[in-house]
Amino acid sequence: MRTRNADKEKLVIEKAIELIVQDGFQGFSMNKLAKSCGVSVATLYIYYEDKDDLIRKIGTEIGRNFFATTLKDFSPDMSFAEGLKKQWENRAAFAIKYPNEVACFEIIRHSPHGEQTLNDALVGFKDQMGQFFNNAVKNNELIPLPIEVFWSVAYGPLYSLLRFHSEGKSMGGKPFKFTDAMMDETFQLVIKALKP
Amino acid sequence: MENQDHILIFRTNITALCKNCEMHKTLQSHTGIQQWNIDHEDVDCVLRIVSDSLSPQNIITIINRYGFDCSELE
Repeated sequence: MRTRNADKEKLVIEKAIELIVQDGFQGFSMNKLAKSCGVSVATLYIYYEDKDDLIRKIGTEIGRNFFATTLKDFSPDMSFAEGLKKQWENRAAFAIKYPNEVACFEIIRHSPHGEQTLNDALVGFKDQMGQFFNNAVKNNELIPLPIEVFWSVAYGPLYSLLRFHSEGKSMGGKPFKFTDAMMDETFQLVIKALKP
Repeated sequence: MENQDHILIFRTNITALCKNCEMHKTLQSHTGIQQWNIDHEDVDCVLRIVSDSLSPQNIITIINRYGFDCSELE
């Protein structure tokens, strides 16, 4: 009987992420993936219907891991400052630990697979974040804002710093490394801006 | 989850397939085929069949009948 080998499957996902980040979708093929994993093309087709199916499943997998990490030790009942800080810490930890996954997820998100992938991965996450946002407004800890404005102010600064970090440099090629102190400093400014 | 013992994988030269052509209709309506798809983007135009009753040779015979190449992908 043909058995699903969990280690092999993990390797396939890892290599696929590497190849997509390195070559983009156009340069990525099942043949290249099979070669780099040392498995037959047929094996890949046992796991996945086709290239699109593989890309969607990988996107969903990364998204689920990301959102699960984001919700670690987080509760929508936390005070706004405490909860948002936890979100920053969790998001930064994921981005620093899994740079390839983040890059790959971004590529998938901005592709025709994006919407479906995101919807599959977002299950459960949306509710918790929505509840957190509503609690914060209700408790007068947060200015009521359109969600896009809220997101831009609440997370935009963090993602800017993380992008500098992943590139290893900031403006004008100045070497850059993300630190906890820098995160705290930026976070305090964000809280100040969002408080009523 | 699909039973992996029932997945058959083939290399073909079916680069494109319209919904109205006879082969599409045959694969679609075959009682022994639970699910099928062709990865047209792949160089091998991989045909993937889920079937608990058909053998690889059965599939090859069907595909050859419509003038396409088909061989099992190892």
